[in-house]
Formats: sequence, structure tokens, C-alpha cells
Amino acid sequence: MNRDLALGGATLAIAIAYYLLSAQIPESQLADAVGPQGLPRVYAYILGALSLALIGSAIRGSGLGARDSKEPSNPESRVPSPGLKILRPLGVVAIGVIYIVVVPWLGYIVSLAGLIAATTYYQGGGFSRRVVIVALSGALLFWGLFVAILGIQHPAGIWPSLF
Amino acid sequence: MLILESLWSTWIVPAAFGGVAWGILGGALPGISPSITMALLLPLTYGMDPTVAIVMLASTYVGAEYGGSIPAILIRTPGTNAAAATVVDGYAMKQQGRAGEALGISLYSGFVGGLFGLAMLVLLAEPLSNVALAFTPQAYFALGVLGLSVIASLSRESLIKGLIAGVLGLMISTIGTDPVTGTSRFTFDSPDLLSGIPPILVMVGLFAIGEMLAQTGEPSLQDVPERPRIRFPGPAMWRRIALPQLIGSVIGTMEGVMPGGGGAVSSFLAYNEARRWSRHKEEFGKGSPEGIAAPEAANNTVACTALVPMLSLGIPSSNSAAVLLGGFLLHGLLPGPMLFVQNPDVVDGLFLGLFVANIAMVIVGYLIMGPCIWLVSRPKPYLMAFIYALVVSGVFAIEASEFHVAVALAFGVLGYVMRSAGVPLLPMVLGVVLGFLVESNYRRALVLSGGDHMIFIQDRLAAVLLSLALIFIVGSLYRHAIETRPKPRA
Repeated sequence: MNRDLALGGATLAIAIAYYLLSAQIPESQLADAVGPQGLPRVYAYILGALSLALIGSAIRGSGLGARDSKEPSNPESRVPSPGLKILRPLGVVAIGVIYIVVVPWLGYIVSLAGLIAATTYYQGGGFSRRVVIVALSGALLFWGLFVAILGIQHPAGIWPSLF
Repeated sequence: MLILESLWSTWIVPAAFGGVAWGILGGALPGISPSITMALLLPLTYGMDPTVAIVMLASTYVGAEYGGSIPAILIRTPGTNAAAATVVDGYAMKQQGRAGEALGISLYSGFVGGLFGLAMLVLLAEPLSNVALAFTPQAYFALGVLGLSVIASLSRESLIKGLIAGVLGLMISTIGTDPVTGTSRFTFDSPDLLSGIPPILVMVGLFAIGEMLAQTGEPSLQDVPERPRIRFPGPAMWRRIALPQLIGSVIGTMEGVMPGGGGAVSSFLAYNEARRWSRHKEEFGKGSPEGIAAPEAANNTVACTALVPMLSLGIPSSNSAAVLLGGFLLHGLLPGPMLFVQNPDVVDGLFLGLFVANIAMVIVGYLIMGPCIWLVSRPKPYLMAFIYALVVSGVFAIEASEFHVAVALAFGVLGYVMRSAGVPLLPMVLGVVLGFLVESNYRRALVLSGGDHMIFIQDRLAAVLLSLALIFIVGSLYRHAIETRPKPRA
């Protein structure tokens, strides 16, 4: 119930924020009968109403949300274990964020090798010569696939300017 | 004999095989859409014989539509928008150690759908092209609403949460430039948001990164014993998936000929209808073969029927068809009614090439499946690292933007939170995919009618589609009410 209550509260806040933002969309000289704010406002109303329904359902512990209290049978609905396990995924996100920050400077191959090595280590693969070789080989493989074969340019980083 | 002669005397067969292999590669890479895969190939076809070039491009489309299902099943990452519906049951089967079976069903259903679509293309190109002409903005709006009506039945765990996810998806689709006035909405003055958020970013984030985050906090799911071999369905399975394949093929035929419909809408509708007509409804979402057969048949049918309006009217019904149209123009061919009169050899060659492409899809697909299954059976730390590398590389490739990688990461976190809160993911994907179609056509229709909503009832096609949507919604609500009704004590 608490989970649904928190979810309902969060989506209600989103509905309010979205409505306020939609109110700031400037009027256009070309505006039609509905206008660029029209449907966003409708979506905000619907989300607000659904959020209140979820909150009400969570408080009552019955009605349309009653099935939520049961163990979810859908594999998408796996609930993470409590405690620090919930925080562990943040490390994966941090690796991705670091990749985004360093890739313009270090370039695609080095940054991707770093991402592969860091993720392998973080997921319990340890840090060894094998991990380094796999990371470098993997980065070269992806470079070959995306850059050499498909012709999609990824950041080269500082390397071209050094030579 | 003449057909066989023309097959072997030209480069049609190698072109079809090469196109399919290239298409499967592109389709299997998240971020590389079928249209991008075809566009990358376009310059290479410049010096080719026109028929061979067109066959190669069309075969790439066939391969890409199929290729999207491979990562959807193996690593929960839809390679294309149309493969999103395959994720649910495909990945569930993979988790049960049935990846080979899931891939076999996907390949077989894609083959059946492809042949069905080809037959429709050859036999009904002219009458089907009239369907495309009947589509007005109000009919497109109704089509989008019909697609959204699936949300109610995709939200079996919790109707309210499913609807919330769907509305959030619609909200995400409003980010960017307004489709009618060109006004910026919810962009926070960021040029990166002006063109909106591509649906593939949402899918990759919610499914692939969300799954990685979920597995990080969980014990390894890779300990499930897996036979690294593809397994084609036997006679019993043929019978079981025949109806979902038929459903998918019929829906794919209709969606393919409608400009803007596309594989994603047909996949979701086919998935929903397959569940409605299934004797094993309870298996959907938990690894149902029918849940793979219907969307795969649908999106592979679309790969052929999307060529109907392009060939007969010169109207491209999707981005991929637009690239193919570019291929025709590049070789001095003008699609439209006169194409069948002036260049019958090209049209016949294309039909032959598509037939070969569907066979090539089975052969190439079979050959690459073993290595694919072996790859995803590697130890979890390495597998996670390579999925992450694939995702960041593929997402960057969409518009060469690190911002997109950050957006995909953000959706990964959102996907993780949504799973933790028991919110289904598919309704959000559906909202994002259909939001633009619904809003832009709703407003265009009202511009045409001067703001009169009766236009949606007066247009017969729109009225029929809206009525169907209403029936679907009421049916789903009724079923939900029955299922959630407290049972009397014995």
C-alpha cells in the first residue's frame, strides 16, 4: 500500500508540474482550435485523476488497485531486495555518466574499454589481465562494427591532435 | 522456368542474401533503425543494375525487421520499434532457458508473415493501395486511439498503473516541436530536445538498461541451463501458433498499407488480439510462444505490405519505404501506377527478390542464432558489460549525440523505478510511439473541420476504428472487473 501511495504522490506531482509547464507554452499566431497547450493539459488532468484514484485505492486497500498488494506475477514487476541492494544499480548508472563525460576527451575506443572493464568489475568479474584484454578487444570490436563497417562516427577524442 | 532463369541469370539471389544479412546486422543493433540500415547501403547500390539494387534494399528491410527481435529475445533490448512487443514473452522464455525455442518461433513466424505479406503485395497491390488513399487525418487519429486501446489489456497487473504509464508515455511524446504550430514544448531551451525523444531511446532505456539495473541488485539469472541451438517449432507448436500468425499477418497487411501505421502499431495490436483469442491467456507475459508468433508475423508482413502504397501510388508509408523510394529514384525509376507498365521487369524482379529474401532470412537467421545464443550465455559480468557497451554505442548512433545516451540512462532509471513499483512498461512505450500520431492528426482533423468534433463520426473509416477502440476498452475493463472481483468464500 505504501508503495502505491508513494507512486500516486509522485505521479500527482508530475501531473501538477507538467500542467504548470504546459501553461507556459507560448501562444502561436498559427494556433489551431486546440493549440500546443491543448492536449498536454488534457494529459495532465488525466494523470492527476489517475494519481488520485491510485492514492484512494492504496488508502482503501481495495478496488481497482487491489491486485497490487499481491505478489506480482509479471516478470517486469520484480521488486528488488531491500537495503543496499537497491543502491547497487546506481553504480551502473554512475559508470554510464562517467562514460558520457569522458568520451569527448578520451575518445570512443578508450572510453568504451573503460566502460566494459568498470562494468565487468562492478558486476563481480574482478579485475585481471583477462578483463583488460576483453575490454580492449570488445572496444575494438564495437569500433569495427559501428565506425569501420557502418560508418557511424563516434568521438575520436584527443588522439588525432597528438599525432 | 522463366522465373528460375531470371533468378539465376542475374545477381538477385546474392543481392537478397547480402541485403538480408546486412539488414539482420542493422536491425539487431539498438539505435540502427531499418531505414538507417537501408540508407547506409544506398550509396553502394549506385553502380548496380536497378533491379538488383532494389532487391538488395528491400531485402535489407526484410532482414532488419526480423533482426530487431534477436536482441529483444536475448537481452531484452528491442533492436527496432516493431520488436518491442516481442520483448515481453521472448525474454521471459529466454529466462526459462528456452531462448533457442523463442528464436525459432520468431524466425518461423517472421517467415510465415513475410510470405503472407508478399502474397498480399503480389495479388492485391492495386485494391490495397485504395486503403491508403482512404486514410484522412481523422482516420489516422482513430488508428492511434485504436492502438492506445491496447493499453487497458496490457495492464493486467494493475489497470490504474498501466493507464498512468500510458499517459506518461503520451506526455513524453509532447516533448519537442509542436506538430502544427512549430512552437517548442517542454524543451527547456535545449536544442537537443527540439526534435523530441525518439521512441527507441525510451525502449532501450526502459527495457535494456532497466533490466541491467534490476539484475545488478539480484542474484545471477544466467545460471539457467541453455542449449546454444535454435529450435524450430514442431507440428504441435505449428498448430498452436497458426492462429496468432494469421492474426499477425492480417493486422500487418492492413497496417502496412496505411502510411504512418508501421510495424510497431501492428505488433502491439497483433499481440493484444493473439491474447484475446488464445486458449492459454494466462501464459502471456510469462513466456507464451503465441506472444512471440503474433507480433513477429505482423512486423514481417509489414515489411512487404508497406511496399503496396509505395509501388502503386509512389507514397512511402514508412521511413524505410521512403529510403526504398530514394533507391528507385536514384536508379531513374518512378514508382506509381506507370511503374507496372513501364518497368515490369523491375517489379517482377522485386517480387522474386522478396521471395528469396524470406528464404534467405531463415538460412542466415539459422546460421547466426547459435553464436548469438552462445554470446548471451557468457558469465554475467562480461555479458552485462557488453550489453552496456552495445547500448551506449547504438544509442549514440541515432543522432551522434551523447545527450541521447544520457536520456537513455535516465529512462533506464525510470524503468527500474517503474518495475520496483509494479508499473507495466509496455503502456508507456505505446504512449510514446503513438502520441505524435494521435496529437498531430487530431489537430489536423480539427483544422479541416473548423473545430467540429463531428468529423470523427462523419468519416466512416474513423468511426469504425473508434468504435473498435471503444469495444476493446469496454471489453478490457469488463474482463478486469471480473478478474478483480472478490471471490466468495467456499
